[in-house]
Amino acid sequence: MTTALAEPVPTDARPQKLLDRLRSIVGDAGLLVEREELLVYECDGYTVEKKCPDVVVFPANTEQVVAIVRACNEFEVPFVPRGAGTSLAGGCLPIGGGVMISLTRMKRIIEVNLRDRYAIVEPGLVNVHLTQHLKGSGYHYAPDPSSQGACTIGGNFATNSGGPHTLKYGVTVNHVLGAEVVLPDGTVAMLGGTVEDVPGYDLTGLFVGSEGTLGICTKVIVRLTRDPAAYRTMLGVFETVGDATRAISEIIGAGIVPAALEMMDQGIVSAVEQAFHFGFPLDAGAVLLIEVDGLEVAVDEEAQRIIALCNQSGAREVRQANTPKERMLLWKCRKQAFGAIGRLSPSYCTQDGVVPRTKLPEILEFITACGQRHGLRIVNVFHAGDGNIHPILLFDERDADQVRRVLLASDEILGKCIDMGGSVTGEHGIGVEKISFMDKLFAPEDLLVMKSIRDCFNPTGRCSPGKMLPTSAGCGNEHLPKVKPGRRAAM
Amino acid sequence: MSATEFTPATQLELSRFVAENAQNQRQTLCPVGGRTALHFGFSAPSPGVQIVMSQLNRIVDYPARDMTITVEAGLRVDALQATLANERQRLPVDIAQAERATLGGALATNTSGPRRFGHGTFRDYVIGISAVDADGRLFKAGGRVVKNVAGYDICKLLVGSRGTLAVVTQVTLKLRPLPETSAQLWLTFDSFQEIEERLAGLLTSQTRPVAIEVLNPAAAALIAASARCDLPANAPVLCIGVEGSKREVEWQLQMLTQELTGRGLLESRQVRDHDADRIWEALTEFQTCADDPLTFEANLRPSQCMTFAERATDLGVAVQVHAGNGQVIGQLLEESATIDQTVSILNELGTLARSAGGNLVVLHCDSAWKSRMPMCGAPESSWPLMKQLKSKLDPQGLLNPGRFVDAAP
Repeated sequence: MTTALAEPVPTDARPQKLLDRLRSIVGDAGLLVEREELLVYECDGYTVEKKCPDVVVFPANTEQVVAIVRACNEFEVPFVPRGAGTSLAGGCLPIGGGVMISLTRMKRIIEVNLRDRYAIVEPGLVNVHLTQHLKGSGYHYAPDPSSQGACTIGGNFATNSGGPHTLKYGVTVNHVLGAEVVLPDGTVAMLGGTVEDVPGYDLTGLFVGSEGTLGICTKVIVRLTRDPAAYRTMLGVFETVGDATRAISEIIGAGIVPAALEMMDQGIVSAVEQAFHFGFPLDAGAVLLIEVDGLEVAVDEEAQRIIALCNQSGAREVRQANTPKERMLLWKCRKQAFGAIGRLSPSYCTQDGVVPRTKLPEILEFITACGQRHGLRIVNVFHAGDGNIHPILLFDERDADQVRRVLLASDEILGKCIDMGGSVTGEHGIGVEKISFMDKLFAPEDLLVMKSIRDCFNPTGRCSPGKMLPTSAGCGNEHLPKVKPGRRAAM
Repeated sequence: MSATEFTPATQLELSRFVAENAQNQRQTLCPVGGRTALHFGFSAPSPGVQIVMSQLNRIVDYPARDMTITVEAGLRVDALQATLANERQRLPVDIAQAERATLGGALATNTSGPRRFGHGTFRDYVIGISAVDADGRLFKAGGRVVKNVAGYDICKLLVGSRGTLAVVTQVTLKLRPLPETSAQLWLTFDSFQEIEERLAGLLTSQTRPVAIEVLNPAAAALIAASARCDLPANAPVLCIGVEGSKREVEWQLQMLTQELTGRGLLESRQVRDHDADRIWEALTEFQTCADDPLTFEANLRPSQCMTFAERATDLGVAVQVHAGNGQVIGQLLEESATIDQTVSILNELGTLARSAGGNLVVLHCDSAWKSRMPMCGAPESSWPLMKQLKSKLDPQGLLNPGRFVDAAP
């Protein structure tokens, strides 16, 4: 059963009539059918499970998405939307094959209205392109996942993406006013709008983070955020991870909400230092990247309070970024930390757990012990202020025993997050990767209500089958046992 | 006779009651918190049973250093805020009648106030929720951590759902620190159009206000009087609120005064300390001054608000505008009180709102008037979808039926 899914669907299994229909909708240039071309789409940033779609289509507008979805329904084949494929949980995996709807050609910025602080964009727009477009206006789009140079706003909408600055500014859903969506039956619905309170239920809030299981968004109305007047960016250097996590707890406990509060442990720091030559101390147990923003009159005072709290917690030193260039470099080191991990091992697996932030010292001790128990090296770079950990398990995928131990350790870490009152995903999503954790995190009643909601919008289960809910209905969605952990990812 | 009451002592007791009802009596159920917003929505037959939430008022878990709290939904808002204030924290949502309103009720009606500009609304703070569905199933969504994308965000769905999808029993909130102090700048201008120019300018102000309010003279007089502050109210008012350390607040008041000076400005006052606290309260309570025959809320794009406020002023409405976000709260005063006059005023203002992509909803009116008023606004294109969801989650139509979008034409 499991191998059947991983094997290519024979070309002749694809109804020629469906291909003809799709071609008539998007034209020859909007369609991929060749085996070699489809291989690119067999997985996203979660590389454990692979499955080629039978065909990839590139609609140019909402009408084409509608026509594609209607065709899929008529031919009774599953379909799955895809942005840039940076998902780390297999959200874009075409379970059961079928039609992959790639939204990357719908990437226009339709409207920017600064007076009313919104922008209307198409789902394939790359996150950072919106912020670049707004540069100089005094406004930006706040959610800034580390993959923002590649990931799309539609993908962010589907997974409710976070990023380092969510600590103060919130995640994607806090910045979405509304959306145009194509529902699984091919009808178009407008959720929310350019005004804030549209009478009725907050369907926008429900659809954000629904991982493509309720429909396909074709336009997103996002809120624009005023740029901070001033920043202070600091680097706290600590002898031990324990000292660093105590400092985090002290800062949050003191009622300070930094714009960002990120931790990198020694393993990551040394990899990043080799890659970027920032001048990180290689012998430090951990560093904290701390940013406060706000009014010029306030940031110095806040920065001084943070420095004092770091020192109380045993910081070796706290450096400040003195120029915008230094700040950018610090952020580059942080956001591209994952790219530097290749220096540490041939393969790695990133987890995405969340714990109450005061429990960080405890979970990090657990992770260290867990690594020792399984004979694995685990390094950490994560959104400390949110309690959102990203332990990175290093291994060599050619060694089957290491692979087995990585999977065991990952499950233990995520299980511990649940025990501590946390969650198994802070920003990457459930996708297919964590579907087996849903019934550990939620009771059967909780999942039943979620299933009712999915069935309301997606009764056939044909739209993004096999995602998020363990009780998935639909076609060919038998879940694959995990054979090997993800090799690389960008957070 | 009015509805019978059921007052559960625990979530489980409620769950069992609702499950039993769904199988046998099938009476309609209306969850009740502080009874401050029971008049919302379409007029519907009295419910069979009022679910009185007052005993579900425990603080379940308050790990203050995590800046989250889990409480039962029947907790009164003032009691919640007092608990949080002990730790110098707060839920930064302005909630009217906090001494009566419950957290569950405020959440179910998605209450907000002037500081939504700086802090957002309930959807930005509810990170976990427990509720009993129409079949009596006690379920939860979200969790107790500030960042969590596991499963559908049913918290968002239940915020503002007015008890029509499930009875909210327990809520986990993300919290914010209490600011050291706050203040307002109260400015009168000779016209709304002068204020509109200032509002456009404020978009790139060096300051970061938490509230941008515009009041017409009628509303300004009511708010100043209710706050017992001697403030000018003979012309349109722009009232800007700031929070933070004393230093931040003083700097912002000074900077705003500089930025907003010039043509059209009549008077400028700075409001601090206890006066500022009372102004916040009066700005929050304005929507519930229920002696008047009707209160409405229009939702507009911010750029459309001044034109709307000017027209509403001409029609004799007392108007408060959350100008940074685009909500206009209007109170029809006693003098314009016939039903026909009111219908005609609301028709005109509703059309004006919709012509700019907005909407107009009646918050409160004489119950005899309801059938002729846009209690939930004009139909929206997404309502059929919402009705579908309502009938999926409450197929027997037991939870607050007929009051919200399920009853829409």
